[in-house]
Amino acid sequence: MALFLQILVVGLTTGAIYALIALGYTMVYGIIELINFAHGDIFMIGTFVSIAIFGLLGIGTNSQPTGWWLVAVLVITCLGAMLACAVLGVVIERVAYRPLRNSPRIAPLISAIGVSLILEDVGKLWKGIEYITFPQIFPDKDIRLGPITISTVDILVIVVAVILMIALQWMVTSTRTGRAMRAVAQDREAAALMGVNVNRIIAITFFIGAALAGAAGFIYGLKYGETIFFIGFQLGLVAFTAAVLGGIGNLVGAMLGGVLIGVIESLSTLIPDSVLPHGGAAWHLAIVFAILILILVFRPAGLLGQQLPEKV
Amino acid sequence: MSTLMTNRILLPARDTRALLVKWIVALLVPVAVFTFVWSGEEIVNAVISPGTAGPNLPTDPVSLIQSAIFIALFYLAVIVLAGYLVAADSGRRGMLSLWLDVLIFALLPLFLVMNIGLIIGLAACVVIWAVYFFARNLVRKARHYTPPLALPSLGLLDAEQRAILMGRAIAGGFWFATAFAIVWLIADLVYFFTGSLPPQLLIWVVIRTLLLPVAGYFLGRLAGVLALRRTLSAHANGNGNGGDATNESTRRISKRQQLQVLSATRVREEAKDLVPNDLPLRSSGAQRFYLILLVAFVLFYPILDPFLFGFGTDGRLASFGDAGRYVILALGLNIVVGFAGLLDLGYVAFFAIGCYVWGMIGSTQLTNVLNVAPIDPHILSWLFWPMLLGAALVAAFFGVILGAPTLRLRGDYLAIVTLGFGEIVPIVLLELDKYTNGTNGIVGVQSPAFFGIDWSIITPAPYYYLILALIALSIFANIRLRDSRLGRAWIAIREDEIAAASSGVNLVNTKLFAFGAGAFFSGVAGAYYAAKLGGASPDNFSFNDSVIYLAMVVIGGIGSIPGVIVGALVVYSINELILAQLDTLASDPTNFMFFVRSAIVHVIPGFTFGNIRNLLFGIVLVVIMIFRPEGLIPSARRRRELRASTEEAPEMGSLDVMPGTPGFETEVRVE
Amino acid sequence: MSVKPVELAGEPAEPVSGALLELSGVTKYFGGLAAVQDVDLVIKPKEIVSVIGPNGAGKTTVFNLITGIYRPTSGDVRLDGRSLLGLNPDQVVKRGITRTFQNIRLFNNMTVMENVLVGQHTQLKANLFGLLFHTPAVVHEEADARQRAVELLSFFGPELVARQEEYVVNLSYAEKRRVEIARALGAKPALLLLDEPTAGMNEVETLEAVKYVRRLRDELNLTILLIEHKLAVTMGISDRIAVLDYGRKIAEGLPEEVRSNEKVIEAYLGKSATATASQNEASTSDQKAIE
Repeated sequence: MALFLQILVVGLTTGAIYALIALGYTMVYGIIELINFAHGDIFMIGTFVSIAIFGLLGIGTNSQPTGWWLVAVLVITCLGAMLACAVLGVVIERVAYRPLRNSPRIAPLISAIGVSLILEDVGKLWKGIEYITFPQIFPDKDIRLGPITISTVDILVIVVAVILMIALQWMVTSTRTGRAMRAVAQDREAAALMGVNVNRIIAITFFIGAALAGAAGFIYGLKYGETIFFIGFQLGLVAFTAAVLGGIGNLVGAMLGGVLIGVIESLSTLIPDSVLPHGGAAWHLAIVFAILILILVFRPAGLLGQQLPEKV
Repeated sequence: MSTLMTNRILLPARDTRALLVKWIVALLVPVAVFTFVWSGEEIVNAVISPGTAGPNLPTDPVSLIQSAIFIALFYLAVIVLAGYLVAADSGRRGMLSLWLDVLIFALLPLFLVMNIGLIIGLAACVVIWAVYFFARNLVRKARHYTPPLALPSLGLLDAEQRAILMGRAIAGGFWFATAFAIVWLIADLVYFFTGSLPPQLLIWVVIRTLLLPVAGYFLGRLAGVLALRRTLSAHANGNGNGGDATNESTRRISKRQQLQVLSATRVREEAKDLVPNDLPLRSSGAQRFYLILLVAFVLFYPILDPFLFGFGTDGRLASFGDAGRYVILALGLNIVVGFAGLLDLGYVAFFAIGCYVWGMIGSTQLTNVLNVAPIDPHILSWLFWPMLLGAALVAAFFGVILGAPTLRLRGDYLAIVTLGFGEIVPIVLLELDKYTNGTNGIVGVQSPAFFGIDWSIITPAPYYYLILALIALSIFANIRLRDSRLGRAWIAIREDEIAAASSGVNLVNTKLFAFGAGAFFSGVAGAYYAAKLGGASPDNFSFNDSVIYLAMVVIGGIGSIPGVIVGALVVYSINELILAQLDTLASDPTNFMFFVRSAIVHVIPGFTFGNIRNLLFGIVLVVIMIFRPEGLIPSARRRRELRASTEEAPEMGSLDVMPGTPGFETEVRVE
Repeated sequence: MSVKPVELAGEPAEPVSGALLELSGVTKYFGGLAAVQDVDLVIKPKEIVSVIGPNGAGKTTVFNLITGIYRPTSGDVRLDGRSLLGLNPDQVVKRGITRTFQNIRLFNNMTVMENVLVGQHTQLKANLFGLLFHTPAVVHEEADARQRAVELLSFFGPELVARQEEYVVNLSYAEKRRVEIARALGAKPALLLLDEPTAGMNEVETLEAVKYVRRLRDELNLTILLIEHKLAVTMGISDRIAVLDYGRKIAEGLPEEVRSNEKVIEAYLGKSATATASQNEASTSDQKAIE
């Protein structure tokens, strides 16, 4: 039982990261019905940018900042990564997706794949092809809460993720811009007729989604301590599965889906050798994809989404 | 032969003379370059007098016969082409624009291929052509260019006009052959007096100079016959109407009447088939000749390579064998993505399955797993042929299975699910290592066996011919599929699923068939690859590959068979050849590339040319989607589909004037 | 322009209990909304029956229920006594019902000929082997299919035959409608559903359309069910009319009966209009009244 709970905790932490990334996917899909293939790579760039900012602040892999300086470093880096990624997201939308808004669906999809390839090589050129260590400056202590052990880093991860998700939820429901975003997601033309600047709203959507991915990159790096140019792809796909599981286009769904996927992935490590050769851990990607396929086949709207019949 | 005819040929009328000058210069220059600057003459001389051939050139009887056939085909085809072009030209287009065309589409490839190799040269050509078209379109838009209406030039030809056409063809063939003979004679005399021409060949020179004009006359006749077949004649051409001539409702509608009522763009498409023509160099009649030349070249390439490119034939043949599998993969994916419109991002899965099927059967892997005695390697080698089909069928089976869950999904979801499968299958192959040998992969896969041919992993020529045969079969199957009721059904579901279903198309079966057919070809490619590589390992299959296959189809032209073939070659060159070559060049301190790379490395430490492969692909994909989504060589249908919003005539109500009649377009702006 | 009818349409239906198509208690809910409620309708062979009603009354939904695009929540649809429930649209086509669409759904980037050939999909038997190797049977079949396509197009006159190689997107609206009908005829249906066949047409074109709808029934032995907004057309062409409102059938009968039916007038014009309703002369030029 304790093991089970422990696994849950592990799942929660990874799930929080997935949720942040999934939000970006779901927001973009909700508003322009595009699967932003490049989103996972924006997350990867977020990790790289974080390391770069650390470098600018004089933080290396062996640095041990403390006290207020530590807090300042963390905040500056997180915000910096978020900002950089947000700008990147807006630029990508402007250059690679907006010209194709009226093209057949396949065009922006392929363009997104192209952007993903570009970003991966940018990562490769920037930091090379080996794993890069991420300074783990947050003090990593294990805290016992009854039967489970949770590390301080994990707590940080969950806290940051929750703060951002609450902020997002507030913004979408209570601000004018958030309302405009929901309107554009429902009916782009009607929103335009109501005076909403659709291009600006779409850009803002990308801005926010990418910023969240940047934050996810930051806390991912803090937790796992290393990054490499190709993590965007796999993590992106898992996060996308989370978004679909929760119901694409639905923000709460993305958060829920992220956590669920994290937990499922975690649970899969329990699967023994006898059922799956090399144990469940080696198969975790396959398991996640299998889930994705099953959802799309049996309940494409996800857990919280709506089934909309096509009007003939 | 009437004296009138002889006069027509020897003293052609003035407009014919203009045409003759235009086309003889246009064709003579490339042919001369091929013959004298490149190795055309060398091949001819080797055939005529094998003793004079240089070292390292094949002089055994089989090679000589093959070379002879190629030479004969080449020059004869060019002479007939000359006659055809002279006859088919409507004369409305000027000499300079034609010569510019020839420069760009004939001379440029020749020079590039001569100097930087076949595949890279061709890939460079494709890129340059794409840039050229783009630039030309910009220029045209700026000058508000409208292409001349095709219809007025499509006259009905009466008997006299047909005779003139025939006369032109004969004159074209005759004078081209004569001009060429004279040029060759002069060249050979120069060689002789500078000592490079062996005296034995003088007799050949004389014979040839006398024979060519005669051949030109008869070949020109042939050209005339071919050209006349494509004219509009005064009486009704059939358009597929078998029916009862007396039944009024099935009265034959002549092609000419049809053309009169079609829209301008449609007429232009149809006009490409007909003679006389504004752009005969690009017409489908001329394309037939290009096809003959291309097939001859590709077929006899292993013999020609030493002449054309010198050392390294084996290496080149091996890489063409690799390029060939890309072509088959592109053709297969084209069925799924291009014909049926189902975006498959996991295509590599079926390729992997094909590889592993032959990999396991063709080696000791399967017998090890089943714990039976290994099969005699000789029998295994013969087993390749049925297993080629077997692997393809297994792949097709999985294509159907993996396609089944996607049937009700919309485009982007379908892409993701296929991507998922594309990831799952290699993982399965990797992790089930009890059966598949996991990360170590399978080794010791047998090469195929064939009578009298010695195959091994290092003999490239048999694999080259094998892949050629497979490509030919794949193209054949693709064309048949596309033009059948199945092909129509695929296009229908791509356009509008509901309407297709309401017209009786079974969506499930049709889509599954697309997946199966597509996977079939990748199974073929997989088996071939396993045999050629001698093994199969999970490293060979990744999502990156699926993207590359998609890039081939997209860059080449979705749905277009020649397009995806070109796309495959372009992508292969970029992927395997160009970047690797650039890196090799850059390691040589005396090479220009070295400086280029050093300069870039100052700014970007991690830079190598190999590293930017995905970057290049990514940029190309984005640029193509934005500027030329129909691809490099689009199918006519796709070009329409993707340009329709900017070009086509506005929706027409019931007008009195039918579109297509002269003067209509001046009122309604088209293009 | 006379064409041998038997080649182009389905066999005339046997008058089994008089009904070719029978809807009984057909109901369709979308979520909580009843688009169609408890509709009964019987259509006899060689009838032309119109379904009319205000916008949103559920007329196209009824078509979609018949052709298998939607599945009824309850009730039954029978063709020749056999239920059509649960069949996919392509299976319904095989049973003998084809349709056109309100918004014209042609395959835009195919030619006229290709569109009509797709309509014949169910009539073609070519299998994989045949189409790969061009067996004589398949070659014949394709030639015959093209021949038949020309015949179908020539039903409307020689213009479309002449333009058979034109891409459909370049045609005028009226021409597109005809191509859509020709495509629907390709499957040799016994029953043809026409969804607003005269929508968007001017008076001349509408008259033409009325003429060829009649000819479809007379010359090709088809039974026709049509949705129509133009009252003049409906009155002029129908053997019987059914009126839907808010998903229910509120009236059915001969044109004259329906025209003066109070409930029908109320549905279109509102309650106050029934009190002051006067007989509308349904002249061919009077089309405005019902929209």
